Amino acid sequence: MSEILRVDGLVKRYKELIALDNVSLKVKEGEIFGLLGPNGSGKSTTINCILSLLDFDKGKITVFGKEMTPKSYDLKKDIGVVPQEVAVYDTLTVYENIDFFCGLYIKDKAKRKQYVQEAIDFVALNDFTKFRPKKLSGGLKRRLNIACGIAHKPKLIFFDEPTVAVDPQSRNKILEGIEQLRKNGATIVYTSHYMEEVEQLCDRLSIIDKGHVIAEGTIDELKGMIKKSEIITIETAGLEDKILDKIGELPHVFNAEYKDNVLKVEAGSGKHNVIDIVNILQDNGYSMKKIFSEQPTLNDVFLELTGKELRDE
Amino acid sequence: MFLFWSLVFPLALMTAMYVTFGSVYDMINSIDPHKTVIIAEDDSEFTAGFEEVIRSMADESSEEHYFDLQEGLTREEAEEKIKANDIETMFVVSDDSIEVFLSNDHSATAAVVAQSVANTYRNKFEVIMDAMEKDPQAAMRILEDSGEMKEYTKSREDAFSGDPNVYSWYFYSSFVMGIFFNATGGAAIVSDLKADVSCEAMRFSASPEKKSKMLVCSFLARLIPALVICGIHLAVMSTVFNVDLGSDPLKLILFTVAANIFSISFGIICGLIFKGTLENRANKTTAVLMLSVFLSGEMINTLPGTIEKVCPIINDINPATVMNLAFYRMALFDQPLDFYTNMAKIVGASIVFIIIGTIILRREKYASL
Repeated sequence: MSEILRVDGLVKRYKELIALDNVSLKVKEGEIFGLLGPNGSGKSTTINCILSLLDFDKGKITVFGKEMTPKSYDLKKDIGVVPQEVAVYDTLTVYENIDFFCGLYIKDKAKRKQYVQEAIDFVALNDFTKFRPKKLSGGLKRRLNIACGIAHKPKLIFFDEPTVAVDPQSRNKILEGIEQLRKNGATIVYTSHYMEEVEQLCDRLSIIDKGHVIAEGTIDELKGMIKKSEIITIETAGLEDKILDKIGELPHVFNAEYKDNVLKVEAGSGKHNVIDIVNILQDNGYSMKKIFSEQPTLNDVFLELTGKELRDE
Repeated sequence: MFLFWSLVFPLALMTAMYVTFGSVYDMINSIDPHKTVIIAEDDSEFTAGFEEVIRSMADESSEEHYFDLQEGLTREEAEEKIKANDIETMFVVSDDSIEVFLSNDHSATAAVVAQSVANTYRNKFEVIMDAMEKDPQAAMRILEDSGEMKEYTKSREDAFSGDPNVYSWYFYSSFVMGIFFNATGGAAIVSDLKADVSCEAMRFSASPEKKSKMLVCSFLARLIPALVICGIHLAVMSTVFNVDLGSDPLKLILFTVAANIFSISFGIICGLIFKGTLENRANKTTAVLMLSVFLSGEMINTLPGTIEKVCPIINDINPATVMNLAFYRMALFDQPLDFYTNMAKIVGASIVFIIIGTIILRREKYASL
């Protein structure tokens, strides 16, 4: 796969504050690339710099193999943006909004009409084309916002936290739509502070914190960076301290806690972690109600890399 | 909001003015000819001249048909008729004096007209006679020009401290206020194009459209509806409210286009200076407009005159006053120089504002988004 977007050593300063510190990214054609980080970490600033909306102090940005500048109109034709806030005109109807923003890219009226209709079909707003945005629910507005950004069929699409303040049903529809866009051939750059979304959607991602890229790779590669690979939870009553110590001494276990009749064990990569723990409990006559084994999440990755949770801020 | 402030609000003010004072104005401006008699007590030039003036104002074909002259009456007969209220006004003219007699039930208009005509004639006659003694040729020129003198007025005196036409001024300033409110559209242009103010502008900036093209489109999108609204205002003022819009349609068009361009470009500068969201910028711009319109005499028509005496520079730089005066001078006075001076101010300021606005909007490098 060829490289669609490349960011090298991007630095952006706001007076004393360094918003982006040597950020580098590579996005390949046809992938969904995630930018994950807490609020204020620099995700939107990175996108704004890539889109030449924001002046930056240092670095180089290449899109479709050419350097991106504010006057790169030929490159901008193939880029779509879905901003974080709903960016539509309240005085225009749903159809008119999509047609207006599509018109910035597509001058041929017949072609534009077709594209607008396809965008309406894509976000399933067919029943609302004559509605003004004020009459739409939050989820429908978000879908309109997406339609305005993708109607011109861009090759590279930036989604800046498109699911903020959206109900679960609409969120799923949005995520399905993004997946569909990728299937249709678009390359997606997706920013979010919702790790579940990024895990579900993205092929590769960068984790950003305080303007630094602290990790980059596929989901599995990122999870492989941390020593914790399994979290085992077992409900059992009256566990004695000596048994807890015994579990804690198992080869791959590096943390074991018991509280409110729940045993929680964090283990590294090992093939029989659950069996080893269950055997100890059975050998000592403990009955078990529920047993769970979970893989670490991106939040665990973030926690281990930064010492804080993704949603702390 | 735009339609309210630019179209509905000025029309509502004009309607209120028309309903309240329109009939009074019409009455003042449609004086019925009063039955009048002149008693000439001698054959002096003064008396003959006055008789000539009154006869000209008794001519039915004249625009100033104020008198219905009763001929062939002696003074005694005239006095009898005055007492019987058959005649409203009697002028007794002798040598260099004019006495005005009025019937018991004379109207206020008749009294004002009779006194004004007598006083004006007395003053002009004194000037002419004085000139005759000093420079007969100059006196002749005054006599030749006397017919036109009543058409011309010193702009400063009439516009500020003299006797402004309150009725017309109110309509003109309401019209100008409607135009000036287009400045909020100028602030909206800033919001359309500055990506740190609105997300829509962010979409524009990320699109392949050139900013200069978008600036022109955004400007025209505000200007064209504004001109249509002005056309509606002018049509209503002329046909419904019978407001005098002057005799030169080209000047009227020139003024309307220039004033709208100025207002929008003024709004762009306000939008760039003020900070915050579009709503914040528009609100602050509206506050500036309100102050400017107030100082131009929309609420108190004598205010510009007072300001002219105390601090005339405020009138010179207050956009609403400059536009009001341009319109006032264009519509009521034949003073091309004053009109074009004000137009030059409006056009000059527009050019400066547009250049500054274009440079800033096109070259914007955002500190934050």
